[in-house]
Amino acid sequence: MTRERLLGREAVLLGVLVVVMLGMSLLSDQFLTLGNLLRTSRFFVEIGLIALGMTLVIITAGIDLSVGSALALVSVTIGFSYAAGAPLALAILLGLLVGLAGGCFNGVMVTRLDLHPLVVTLGTFALFRGLAFGVSDADAVSTYPEWFAYFGQFYLGPVPGQLFVFIAAITAVWLLLARTRFGRYVYAIGANEEAARFSGVPVRRVKVTIYTITGALVALAAVIYTSRVSSARADFGQGLELDVIAAVVLGGASIRGGVGTIPGTVLGVLTIAVLRNGLQLAGVATTWQLFLLGVLLIAAVFVNEFFRRRDA
Amino acid sequence: MAEPASSRLLSLEGIHKHFGGIVAVDGVDFDLGHGEVHALVGENGAGKSTLMKVAVGFHQPDEGRVEVDGEPVAFRSTRDAEAAGIAIIPQELDQFPHLSVAENLAVGRARPRRRWGGIDWDALAETARRQLGELGLDLDVTAPLGLLSAANRQVVAIARALAGDARVVVMDEPTAALSERETERLFAIITDLSSRGVGVVYISHRLEEVFRIADRITVLRDGHHVRTATTSELDTDELVRLMVGRPLGEQVPRSDRSVGDTALELRGLTRAGAFADIDLVLRRGEVLGLAGLIGAGRTEVAQAMFGVAPADSGDILLDGEAVSIRSPEEAMRRGIAYVPEERRSQGLVLPFSIRANISLSSLERLSRGGLINRRAERELAERSATALAIRGAELGAPAAHLSGGNQQKVVLSKALAREPGILLFDEPTRGVDVGAKAEIARLIDRLAADGNAVLVISSELEEVLALADRVAVMREGRVVGELAGTEATQERVMALATGSAKPDDEAAPAQAQP
Repeated sequence: MTRERLLGREAVLLGVLVVVMLGMSLLSDQFLTLGNLLRTSRFFVEIGLIALGMTLVIITAGIDLSVGSALALVSVTIGFSYAAGAPLALAILLGLLVGLAGGCFNGVMVTRLDLHPLVVTLGTFALFRGLAFGVSDADAVSTYPEWFAYFGQFYLGPVPGQLFVFIAAITAVWLLLARTRFGRYVYAIGANEEAARFSGVPVRRVKVTIYTITGALVALAAVIYTSRVSSARADFGQGLELDVIAAVVLGGASIRGGVGTIPGTVLGVLTIAVLRNGLQLAGVATTWQLFLLGVLLIAAVFVNEFFRRRDA
Repeated sequence: MAEPASSRLLSLEGIHKHFGGIVAVDGVDFDLGHGEVHALVGENGAGKSTLMKVAVGFHQPDEGRVEVDGEPVAFRSTRDAEAAGIAIIPQELDQFPHLSVAENLAVGRARPRRRWGGIDWDALAETARRQLGELGLDLDVTAPLGLLSAANRQVVAIARALAGDARVVVMDEPTAALSERETERLFAIITDLSSRGVGVVYISHRLEEVFRIADRITVLRDGHHVRTATTSELDTDELVRLMVGRPLGEQVPRSDRSVGDTALELRGLTRAGAFADIDLVLRRGEVLGLAGLIGAGRTEVAQAMFGVAPADSGDILLDGEAVSIRSPEEAMRRGIAYVPEERRSQGLVLPFSIRANISLSSLERLSRGGLINRRAERELAERSATALAIRGAELGAPAAHLSGGNQQKVVLSKALAREPGILLFDEPTRGVDVGAKAEIARLIDRLAADGNAVLVISSELEEVLALADRVAVMREGRVVGELAGTEATQERVMALATGSAKPDDEAAPAQAQP
């Protein structure tokens, strides 16, 4: 419905990505090597997966601040139910269910109590993390059967295995958003929730589904993360929501709702990944990386506003 | 015809204004004298509002001159214009419902201060009372504006416009949300203003109002100036011909309708604070009009049938069977469609394409396994656009680009796309130009003739009476009478709506609404 306009945004973002990549390759000669780029991708699949769900949430003019905490809770669920004697497969299943339930809880609170998602997920932001700390008693579980490593440490040739999971998820969510009735409802709710309701769009059901999908993607990311670092801890994923929301907004989604695409979000994730990795290789301290991420995020909001006014 | 421009209060010469590739106003002249009421008429999209937004500095003209008292001016904002004594009361009131009446009156004005710089609330309230008093309105100025009736909010907007010693007041569709009685009060105010030398530009679709109130009339069509004439030189037929560029069929033709069985019945429907004990019957092949003043509860009843805000008690019967309708989705599944009164906020997803708006309620039928069949969607949109003659933009363009009348046709298309058997129309022709109005009336007539059950809510009595077989009248949340056939006259409906006649049943005569 707004293809030309979004192409405009995505073209801009692609340009930014190329410029950032060129800049990074000047800063570090290790950056622009296939090996480095593929290795880097391992670290950003988790952010990418969650960003797909966050895109849906932000298009409906919502927000989910609880994703980092939910990731820790799922990780702790897997690690500690395994440590308590459950078979690992069951532990993973439990973890996935917890992620799903957490997302669903967010959605139900937002729709049934008609609360702003910012408030609800700020609450669950503390709730999920607190639960993770309580259950784990701030301890870690770091021994797993060898096969668990497949989720986060497996390589097919030079390509990390989770990249395939990410590509599959991108395709699925992109199809969902761009081609299905559900996707159309998501945009309608974001653009004008009242008119959507008057048109017979099941607003509540769609919203609950969106938050639940996000919870499921968080759970998937948590499995990969736990496997990758071979540990389950309650302090995982702190500040993760910042990277995720930054990627989505950078990708052209509007916090005001109604606007955003999956290709845009993927470009946003890549930009943030490249920036973080490049700065790392160039020896920029993590603290200054955060500062630069802030600059980038504000610049992205400016660009989005520019496009919004131009199109208005 | 007019005095030399130099002696005019306000004069616009050769105004051009375009937005993107669309020319909204193309070389229009317009002028206003002291104490004159000058009506500006034309179909939607004719450029009336744009022209006046240029006059008050909201838009800057691409070409042309704006003069006040013969002096060229270049307003950069409405604030500049207000400082020069030119104020606009826009179609969509720009007010703050959570602030008090007095605060609303003081927005953008110098506020009285106390010694330490705090706002002098007593003086503020006193000023507000005086301003409203001059317009014959006495109300609690400390109450939040949102609690006021639409008519009183309108008066507050006028009071605010006049507070800056306005010499020119532009009113854009001021009566769109007013009942006839409230309109009368507005006219009294306008007459008073003009006797004080204030020039009034009156934009309206309601031609009878224009003939009553205006000294001169200017007609715009497609951004062009068509004619300016003193009111006595014109009659309705001539004016309509000038507006639409073609003669218009006189009355809404009423097809032969054969009234069938009951499709929907309300029994004792009640929602606390909105309406009580509503009994209504909708029959197939019949149009039921629902009349009443603004705030009488008509919209609320329709929205309860549609599941937007369900009733607390009472029954909705479909084909004699009591059903529970808790959401619009459910209502649609049961074959009920509702065309809401608030087109832009409730009827349309403005950034969506025309096509996506038309298909929004029918996506279940247009998709398989959740995937939208784009060809079927396109075909539906094309069929609807042809059937209802939606003009003005490609189907892929955002609905926001259409004029009011064409936007309304998109909303109607969306409702009809599901082929409902029961249709509820809430102010279907509000803010719609004369041509589209007639088309919509014909559409409603045809829908009834085709055997649908139709409910029409309208504040334009003539329209309700022309369309409806029966008219139910509501007042203060209750149905106070039902009129059919020759009984249904404007006078009788108004008498019931205002409570100046004794209702059919034994209900005590209540005070007329203020």
